[in-house]
Amino acid sequence: MKRVAQYLLAALVVLLVWEGVSLGFLAVRGRIVIPTPRAAIEAGLERFPELAAAFGASAMRFLLALLIAFALGLPLGLTVGFEPTLYQLFSPLIYLTYPIPPVALLVFLMVAFGLGETLKIVVITMALFFQVVVAAQGAARSIPRTYVTAVRSAGATRWQLYRHVVIPATLPGVLTAARVSVGLGITMVYIVETKLGAVGGPGSGLGRFIEYYSFSGELSLAGVVGLSLMGLMFYALLELLDRWLCRWKHLEGPGGA
Amino acid sequence: MIEVRGLCVAYGAGRRRVEALSQVDLEVGAGEFVAVVGPSGCGKSTLLFVLDGLVRPSAGTVKIAGEEVRGIRRDVALILQDAGLLPWKTVQQNAELTLRIQGRKANVKDVLEQLGLAGFERRYPGELSEGMRRRVGIARALALHPRVLLMDEPMANLDSITRERIQNLILELWYRLEFTAVLVTHDIEEAVFLGQRVVVLGPRPGKVVEVLENPGMGEPEYRDTAEFRERVHHLRELLVGSAA
Repeated sequence: MKRVAQYLLAALVVLLVWEGVSLGFLAVRGRIVIPTPRAAIEAGLERFPELAAAFGASAMRFLLALLIAFALGLPLGLTVGFEPTLYQLFSPLIYLTYPIPPVALLVFLMVAFGLGETLKIVVITMALFFQVVVAAQGAARSIPRTYVTAVRSAGATRWQLYRHVVIPATLPGVLTAARVSVGLGITMVYIVETKLGAVGGPGSGLGRFIEYYSFSGELSLAGVVGLSLMGLMFYALLELLDRWLCRWKHLEGPGGA
Repeated sequence: MIEVRGLCVAYGAGRRRVEALSQVDLEVGAGEFVAVVGPSGCGKSTLLFVLDGLVRPSAGTVKIAGEEVRGIRRDVALILQDAGLLPWKTVQQNAELTLRIQGRKANVKDVLEQLGLAGFERRYPGELSEGMRRRVGIARALALHPRVLLMDEPMANLDSITRERIQNLILELWYRLEFTAVLVTHDIEEAVFLGQRVVVLGPRPGKVVEVLENPGMGEPEYRDTAEFRERVHHLRELLVGSAA
């Protein structure tokens, strides 16, 4: 509950600052430069079905890309980080490809995947994939030896080592990285929805919604609010996942003697 | 029970080769309690890891119960320095860990009760005091009903009262369960209080420089005797001399 109150307070602060900036511009320029929050919210509510469809489409795109990025990046990052031989072989390759923005390869990706939904998912996935790989690799490299020894001295197989130590030990780090990369993911969603062939109606994604209604400041801002809420939603979901899967990390200090 | 002949252990290769143990001979009888002391980095823990089957010797032979050690044995348990608990597993899951990994029936209820951990089964290590955490580590080892219990500084970094409690607990368990015990410690007083024999390893590459017979160990008043102080003094001289 405390967390919800914190988010509500933050939302209130954002709205107040927004209102202030909006009124400030109005006073200095004598005309509306940035619409007020109220105007944007009202405009958004008027087009609510479209806005909701756009939100849903963008959220699905992000979720799908995130899941694929995890499914592919987690095993790769964990094994490269944990197995010294694989680390020596693959880590230079990862660091070499990690800084390349997927957008820089857009032309080739377009040829490879066409101008459809697949391309959008691929571009977002590529951006998130490297975040996951690098985070998982770093987390796997910093697992305390004593955990590994404890399990190895029981005669664990390699799979048991991953199951009992590598995966749970790296989970908090990986989930933190996932939360951090929500911002990047949302940026990528916006880019693919606006730059990769402006097809589809305003309901086909929040980026498209913002671009489609670029003539109306109120509606564009309603779309921006949608992006912000989407980011918040994924951030909160990942935080809940962290609190559930990594309960042990969120405990109160020692009890008993 | 334990027979070590000409044991050498080296890590790495070429110029990076580090010799941890050199020509170690050691015999531990069934049901005996042996303490191993030595300066930091002399290979005390390595010796335990070899006995546990975690580290392969570069040369020499290691036998337990007449069989050469070629890997993890089910009748040998190892207690790690900081108990080796996994913070994401509960007390019960931690105590069961080795049994589960070995595909054995996991019943740790009795052992948790014996160690005063009943009622804490669902707590996580982060919720326990340091003394309780060590007891969970001991519970994990005892759940295996080992014939040989290897202990790598199980009392390190404990306050003096908790340390004494855990020492007494280990002694009590040894008397009752009659396992063979090898305790590695850097604490000379602890070694003299617990070990029927105290094996002294020299600086790296570690080899046995002295074996001290230690009758009287384990008695509560032993710590206050002149004999105890004399033996501690002797070992301290030996170790300080060898480290210099």
